[in-house]
Amino acid sequence: MIDPNFWWLTPLLLALLIGLICPTTGALLITQRRILLANLMAHSVLPGLVLALAFELDPTIGGLISGLIGALLAEKLNQQFKGREEAAMNTVLAGFTALGVLLVPLLQARVDLETILFGDLLAANSADLIRTCIATAALSVLLLSRYEDLVFIGIDPDGAIAAKRPVNQIRFLAIVITALVVISAITAVGIVLVIALLCAPVLVHIEASSSLRSLMLRSAATGLLLCGSGMTIAMVADLPPGPLIGVLCVVLLLAKSTASQWNPSN
Amino acid sequence: MCFSYEGRQTIQDVNLDLKAGTLTALVGPNGAGKSTLLHLLQGRLSGTKGHVDCQCEIALMPQRAAIDWSFPITVKQMVKLGQSCRANHANILSIDEALERVGMVEMASRRLSRLSGGQQQRVLLARALMQQTGVLLLDEPCSAIDPPTREHLLTVMRQQAKEGQTLLVSSHDWGRALDSYDQVIVLDQRVLASGTPQQVREKLTDLTCTMGSTCCD
Repeated sequence: MIDPNFWWLTPLLLALLIGLICPTTGALLITQRRILLANLMAHSVLPGLVLALAFELDPTIGGLISGLIGALLAEKLNQQFKGREEAAMNTVLAGFTALGVLLVPLLQARVDLETILFGDLLAANSADLIRTCIATAALSVLLLSRYEDLVFIGIDPDGAIAAKRPVNQIRFLAIVITALVVISAITAVGIVLVIALLCAPVLVHIEASSSLRSLMLRSAATGLLLCGSGMTIAMVADLPPGPLIGVLCVVLLLAKSTASQWNPSN
Repeated sequence: MCFSYEGRQTIQDVNLDLKAGTLTALVGPNGAGKSTLLHLLQGRLSGTKGHVDCQCEIALMPQRAAIDWSFPITVKQMVKLGQSCRANHANILSIDEALERVGMVEMASRRLSRLSGGQQQRVLLARALMQQTGVLLLDEPCSAIDPPTREHLLTVMRQQAKEGQTLLVSSHDWGRALDSYDQVIVLDQRVLASGTPQQVREKLTDLTCTMGSTCCD
């Protein structure tokens, strides 16, 4: 049993873990030009979450299945609408979000939509922490076992297929892990804001990094700093941490952009 | 070999015989099927008819557009990817040796995105050399690069052929550049002409009529 005086420990640990895994996953997705898929998945988990909560099931399973269905549907539509993938993916994104919102009154589910959309870090519990630890472990296993393949797929996907790398299997694994990471991050920043944490730290470092590994480490360190400071400021100023972290992400990006204009070599 | 895409036959009864240790140019206008043929030969695509009879491994250096040049990777790491494609681990060429052949040793630790187009092509060639296959297919390696870099790439390719590797290079070059090759194959969905540069040049008048004057200088 945690001492009530240390109630903030679980939310802080969760924030730090999310700060580590979201930008690491973001680095992988941005270098493979699949970040839109991550945003789509973030929104696609909503119907599954609502269904799971309405039927008192584990929201991770519901969100994971729903997120994967969204991703697979988008992949199928992408093949049909070649060259117009963004339009197809954004339509699926909007459709799944709308379905999730509709399910709440239809199932009369006791779901706080605002919490799912924008996060509620201060209400984090040990189940959230365990879920995030599982996502962290899965991501670590993928990176440690398949790093070179991930680099190959990112820089030359056709070449990776020709070299008989298990490209489809690795991509599917990456989708599953992205779904796990996104679901874990929902408590912290919600499905609307998670994309900022996936992208901002990576964009800050992508030009200066000379390898995917270096990009992941730098982005994770920045994510850690963003979530740690966001959580601290939120507690001191009595503000919601999720939106605060979202705003900090944009501030960081603007600061980086301004610094680059002053010193183009950065 | 034959190949159809969306109901249209883009490769029609192409029959090639590449001699070991030669440098062959595969020329033709846009849409002639040069890239498709290279992909068929390497096995990235499956033909609707025909087969490749080759006793050794075949590597392909892709077109520039196939590579994400903004990916965070150094020259050395990029060349190392060629090593991991290699099926045969005998007679291993080191990364430094491959970089030396293309004149990029000094740039080994530089990020790929910071290189010029010509330098990037040289790195791509070094990656292909790392695979040490008996046959090397190159898809427009000389496109959008300056003449000195083009000369350098051709010198490296000639050297590889001298060492016994068989090279087939797709190209838009129709002029004097063809003289650098042992054989020339002119393709426009089917083989229109093949032979030494001189033999092919003699047929150029007819080809100009067939393929349009923009192809030939």
